[in-house]
Amino acid sequence: MRFSLQIIVTFFTCLLLQSVLPWWSLAIGCLAVGYGFSQRSVKSFTAGFIGVGVLWLAMALLIDLNTNSILSERVAQLFPTKTVPLLYVVTILVGGLVGGMASLAGSLLKGGTK
Amino acid sequence: MRLVKVVAALLFTAALVYVLNRSWGSVPPLGKFLDPFYGFWQNAEQGHPKSQELSLPGLQQPVHVVYDSALIPHIFANTTFDLYYAQGFITASHRLWQMEFQTHAAAGRIAEIVGPAALDFDRSQRRLGMVTGAQNTLKAMEQDSEVMEACNAYTQGVNAYIASLTPATLPVEYKLLNYEPEPWTELKIGLFLMNMAKTLNAGENDLEMTNALALFGKETLDLLYPDREPVTDPIVYNPGGWNFKPVHLDSVPAVVPALLTSVKPVEKQPKGIGSNNWAVSGSKTITGAPILCSDPHLGLTMPSLWFTVHLHAPDVNTMGASFPGAPCVIIGFTDSVAWGPTNAQRDLVDWYKITFQDNRKEHYLSDGNWKQAKKVIEVFRIKGQPDFLDTITYTHHGPVTYDASFHGDNQNNHFAYRWIAHDGANVLRAFYELNRAKHFDDYMHALDHFHFPAQNFAFASVQGDIAIRIQGKYPVRRKDEGKFILDGSTTNSEWKAFIPVDQNIMMKNPARGFISSANQYPTDSTYPYYIHANQWEYYRNRRLNRVLAGWDSITPQRMMQLQNDNYNIQGEEYLPLLLQRVAGKPASSEQQTILSKLAKWDYVNTADSEAACYFEAWVEELQTAVWDEMRNSPVALPLPSDYMTWWLLKNRPDLSFYDHQQTPEKETSADVIWMAFEKALARVSAWQEKNRNKPLQWAYFKDSYVRHLLRLEPFSVHAINGGNSNTLNASRGGWGPSWRMVVSLERRGIKAWAVYPGGQSGNPGSRFYANQIKPWEEARPMPLKFVNQHERLTKTAYFTVQLNPAKP
Repeated sequence: MRFSLQIIVTFFTCLLLQSVLPWWSLAIGCLAVGYGFSQRSVKSFTAGFIGVGVLWLAMALLIDLNTNSILSERVAQLFPTKTVPLLYVVTILVGGLVGGMASLAGSLLKGGTK
Repeated sequence: MRLVKVVAALLFTAALVYVLNRSWGSVPPLGKFLDPFYGFWQNAEQGHPKSQELSLPGLQQPVHVVYDSALIPHIFANTTFDLYYAQGFITASHRLWQMEFQTHAAAGRIAEIVGPAALDFDRSQRRLGMVTGAQNTLKAMEQDSEVMEACNAYTQGVNAYIASLTPATLPVEYKLLNYEPEPWTELKIGLFLMNMAKTLNAGENDLEMTNALALFGKETLDLLYPDREPVTDPIVYNPGGWNFKPVHLDSVPAVVPALLTSVKPVEKQPKGIGSNNWAVSGSKTITGAPILCSDPHLGLTMPSLWFTVHLHAPDVNTMGASFPGAPCVIIGFTDSVAWGPTNAQRDLVDWYKITFQDNRKEHYLSDGNWKQAKKVIEVFRIKGQPDFLDTITYTHHGPVTYDASFHGDNQNNHFAYRWIAHDGANVLRAFYELNRAKHFDDYMHALDHFHFPAQNFAFASVQGDIAIRIQGKYPVRRKDEGKFILDGSTTNSEWKAFIPVDQNIMMKNPARGFISSANQYPTDSTYPYYIHANQWEYYRNRRLNRVLAGWDSITPQRMMQLQNDNYNIQGEEYLPLLLQRVAGKPASSEQQTILSKLAKWDYVNTADSEAACYFEAWVEELQTAVWDEMRNSPVALPLPSDYMTWWLLKNRPDLSFYDHQQTPEKETSADVIWMAFEKALARVSAWQEKNRNKPLQWAYFKDSYVRHLLRLEPFSVHAINGGNSNTLNASRGGWGPSWRMVVSLERRGIKAWAVYPGGQSGNPGSRFYANQIKPWEEARPMPLKFVNQHERLTKTAYFTVQLNPAKP
């Protein structure tokens, strides 16, 4: 339950932060959320990863569906991934990894200062 | 232990953010780039843009911008300042990245964007004096308050757009390369013009010709590289009609004696590029109104070199192709006249060998005196590396381009570059006036300001006039001057005088009812000045004049077909000779089949022609085989033109050059032609092997492409069309018709059509990025909506943008 809640809180915190601040603000958000929820390391990482990963996927999908992949098809070919679905995977991985690591650091920080 | 973990996790997160926030070589900053809130995803354009109102600082009055369905902006302003402000703002909103990239290229600043691979290019740009030329151009414009106001307004408009950018709306190339735009300046307009000057006018082979002179001697040189090939259809034929007193020079320019240099010249354009333009008088058209066609052939890029725009203010109503980077319309029409240029090819470039006093290179010899040289330390910023410093020595001729530190030879020679474009000129004045021209006299006055690079300006008016003028600032050349490297230590070698502007070649309303040009030799032999260029055109001009002479009751649609004409005079001349020479050779049955396919060819390079593939491969292999002496030489040498190769094979079958150097036998012209045929077949087979999914058809074999400025394949487009550089539809590889325009100058109202290979938007995420490629391939130019009131467009408008002055 707390796990799902952390994902949802991560999602909305980062949505809010990213609407006004550069992409790295999600790390600060996840750090704070991770600190607040203070879960075990693996859970905290996973919640951060999923929270940000879903956020980035949803946002990218929203744009891509509205524009018929007009740009993502070209950009996908710039990467070794070549296809749009794989571009989504890379996007999720990049956002998720930063979110997850920041969450993990947050939860550890709380534990560490106890 | 716990503390270690915390610190490690924090550090790892911070490191991750750092790594994903910067570029690594050609890898973009992945976090920043893939972020769907600000990264590339945001550059994808959604459906139908909404009409909007914007407040912009510095604007004087509201400006109406109406976009039509081709995303062409029709700009209606109440003041001249507002007009060019809006042009700058609107152009930047579609092409900002390109505008900055191309002016960075002119200024030799590409390495700071893409890294060390571009350093050699950057150094060559500065060592050719591109920045000096831009500065002098700006100085010349500063003397002209109207032009300067236009440049200043345009600059403010571009900067207003830059100021309006957000991290999300930054053009995608900035995101990919991880940098941001800098403020636009008037100097950048000068830099943009220098880019054009270089494309059109910096082609020369003085160094190669000097080596050829030393190796082959004057007699062979004149045979292989004549001033003009023995084929004539000049732009202006006016024998005995040059009624003026020409400037005469007694002195003789001093050529450096027997100089063989291993300097490796910087990369040049491929041969055979050029342009077509023509105008027919009302006597030859179905409406009785003149028709003008303009078809400049240039390096094709995405985003496109041209941006279509309609500019309207109380004193001006003009439409056509503009440069994304300069105010005004460059090729287009007004309510009353139309104009379009082709390149005049004239040699306005020289190289001087400099004699320095000593290794410090502080003084150099000039007429027995030691003149002071100027040294400038140029700083090159390089992405991901420390700055590179380059000392460039300037003489009064120009910058020393080649020396021991740059492409130098082992004799430590110094060659300084003299180029007309260094002098700077207020060329925008010509376009400013053309944009307001009402009749022939206005066109003539406007062109008086056009000093570089020399162009053949075609003209037509609703009053019924047609004209062509070969305009530029030309040094008075003495025989052979400009062909070879000159001795920089004597002022005799320098440009002594310029041809008075009213003695330039021109022609108005000729009896034959049309004017035309296709980069050929400009005039008849009675014109009293020596004319030199490193290449003239031999095929397109003859095809054009042949067709135009035979046509009557011409419609604009027929003109569009002519722009797309694929008839190949080179094939008509060359192929019979080739087939005749190889008639006795022992051909295999496969070879026989191909020879008979060639014999049946109609000399048209259609997109689906198979014979064209064999013919073109044959001619290219022949060119390589005959001139192997030049290609394999350790010093740079010029290649004779395709036309001369044919002419020599035909008329001088005994030339020693036909002997292939790598074989012990002595080859004749027939042997070398046969050898080239076998190589051509092998090449076609190799191509088929590599392209199993494609048919052997000319369009696929030649592969016309429009490449993104960063050479990114996914942002580039391949076109399927006919033509080659010798047909009127001069589409080949990365070169081709960059803007096709047809204007019918009817008194009831001008009708015009245009298309270019690309689209109005520079954004690969826009459906207007490449939407004109298809109509361009098919030579279906789109009608231009040319009106004099914005209300007449609002019904059919795609969307509108109103620019309002921001309240202070």
